[in-house]
Amino acid sequence: MKKRIAMFLCVALAAMILSACATTETTQKPYKLSQQGKVIWNDEFEFSPPPPGWKLIQVEVGGEFGFGFLRADPGQFPSQSMFVYDEEPFGCSTVLGERGEEFFKRYLWTTAMVADMKILEEKKVNLLGGEGVAMVAEAKDPVKKEKVKSKVVFGKRGDRVVAFYLTQWRPTDGTYDPSAFEVFDNFWGSFRYLKKSFYQTLVEDP
Amino acid sequence: MEGHQRNLPLYDRFNARVVGVSVDDVITLKYWAKSLDLTFPILSNVTGFLGASFGVAPSPEIKGFPVFSRKTVIIDKKGIIRYAKDGSPDFKDILLFLKKMHKEGGKP
Repeated sequence: MKKRIAMFLCVALAAMILSACATTETTQKPYKLSQQGKVIWNDEFEFSPPPPGWKLIQVEVGGEFGFGFLRADPGQFPSQSMFVYDEEPFGCSTVLGERGEEFFKRYLWTTAMVADMKILEEKKVNLLGGEGVAMVAEAKDPVKKEKVKSKVVFGKRGDRVVAFYLTQWRPTDGTYDPSAFEVFDNFWGSFRYLKKSFYQTLVEDP
Repeated sequence: MEGHQRNLPLYDRFNARVVGVSVDDVITLKYWAKSLDLTFPILSNVTGFLGASFGVAPSPEIKGFPVFSRKTVIIDKKGIIRYAKDGSPDFKDILLFLKKMHKEGGKP
């Protein structure tokens, strides 16, 4: 065994990365509805569907999240709400609270809302049959006169951290819509895995 | 790069090591790596000769400056390139390839 390990001790993986762009595209239906009215996503996930008005969004390769739903909200730009399931949330820590801090540092940056970001709430929740952490943050951009409120729920799938997050954008004088947060809570609260993840299979199968 | 950082325990399991290469200068990379909490080496190659050596396509966006597109290269212990793909890293593909290499290494 030691010889086997030594044989590839020198294997090097070089990644040359200078620029990146995520491509967001809507694809042909990767889901079906169960008799109970749940969405079966790629035979891997099960969850309650959002009500009408939420449009499916999906990243195919190298994106920032797996799939989710987007809704245009009443009011001036940038009034909209989006929630997603993400198996590769920003950050690297496997400690849920720490991952949350890493996540918000990166995620709100990608939403172009770096100014005045505050974590408003952090609490433990039951997620996916285990322990999870729910965090709510808000950021405001006084130059663009926009604001964003985000709720993120972190949990574990095997050894890896996964996340569900809702982001709601508004003009600075706009009002957040709590109904979107209720839809989001129903989404992650109903979420179930139907089979092992790629990473679980990778390390468990010979 | 965060994806590689998250996968370090899996790379370790398959006896692989990851090295990043960039044409940015050392100071820029130092702070960039710190901002992402990266713990693996990032090499500064300001002339871009490493990119050229590995066949990384120059970026069409900035002419006359050594800026390269993304490429992932896996080199075995003998220095032989076993895997090379352009574009954003496909982490699942990379991990499956490393697992396969690791298995092959165990055969007599």
